[in-house]
Amino acid sequence: MKFLSDMEIELDRELSDLDIFALDFIRILRKYTRYAVVSGYVAILLGRSRSSEDVDVIIEKMDFGKFSGLLAELKEKWFYCLNAENEREIFDYLKDKFGIRFARLNTAIPNMEVKFAKNRIDEVSLDKTIRVKLREDDILISNLELNIAFKEKILKSKKDLEDARHLRNISKGHLNLTAIKMYEKMLDEIYS
Amino acid sequence: MKFTAENDKERMKFVDFWSKYVMEHEDKEWSRQQNLVINSCLRSTKMTKEQFLSMKNEDKRQN
Repeated sequence: MKFLSDMEIELDRELSDLDIFALDFIRILRKYTRYAVVSGYVAILLGRSRSSEDVDVIIEKMDFGKFSGLLAELKEKWFYCLNAENEREIFDYLKDKFGIRFARLNTAIPNMEVKFAKNRIDEVSLDKTIRVKLREDDILISNLELNIAFKEKILKSKKDLEDARHLRNISKGHLNLTAIKMYEKMLDEIYS
Repeated sequence: MKFTAENDKERMKFVDFWSKYVMEHEDKEWSRQQNLVINSCLRSTKMTKEQFLSMKNEDKRQN
């Protein structure tokens, strides 16, 4: 794992089933909108020794027409939405700030949980991404400082604190500690 | 209580051990081992969408 800059990490990892699933989805998603992978999968992609049944993604808000195009291509490539079947209903979930989940046909795990950016923190996730350069393709993740702050300040479960510790350990010397403090303050304002 | 605290401490020790391993070894090496955990977990868990959404408390949400 090489930190090429504060915006790029080179990773020569063997792909897991979860990586292959996430990449297949992202290759479709990025044609339609900006995105950032956040939370647990960020730690897993960068080496944390655990699995997950889902991959969380924040996307920029889009109108129904564009979303309909995305849904059509996902369907064509054998993905389906777990939450609803009707296009308008799926779109309304997103608009109402819920996450919607997509899996391969006839499965429920793994799945991608997709949410529209809904506040300043989500906008930062989309604006300040890190490109993880895999041999096969790239994945955009939200910056490590924000992931760490969110896990330590908001989520705080054992699993999340362990993820944050792993991220701190593997990025030692590359982290902007001032940014973590700043994000903690922003999170306080939004979530308290 | 003591058991939980000890257990948490041990888990964190392993997180530190493993992240050190990740930093000190080739990506191919640590990811090959990590994939044993990820792939076996995903391949052994079979759930319907109804079971999954219920587990996540997302089965009764209303727009």
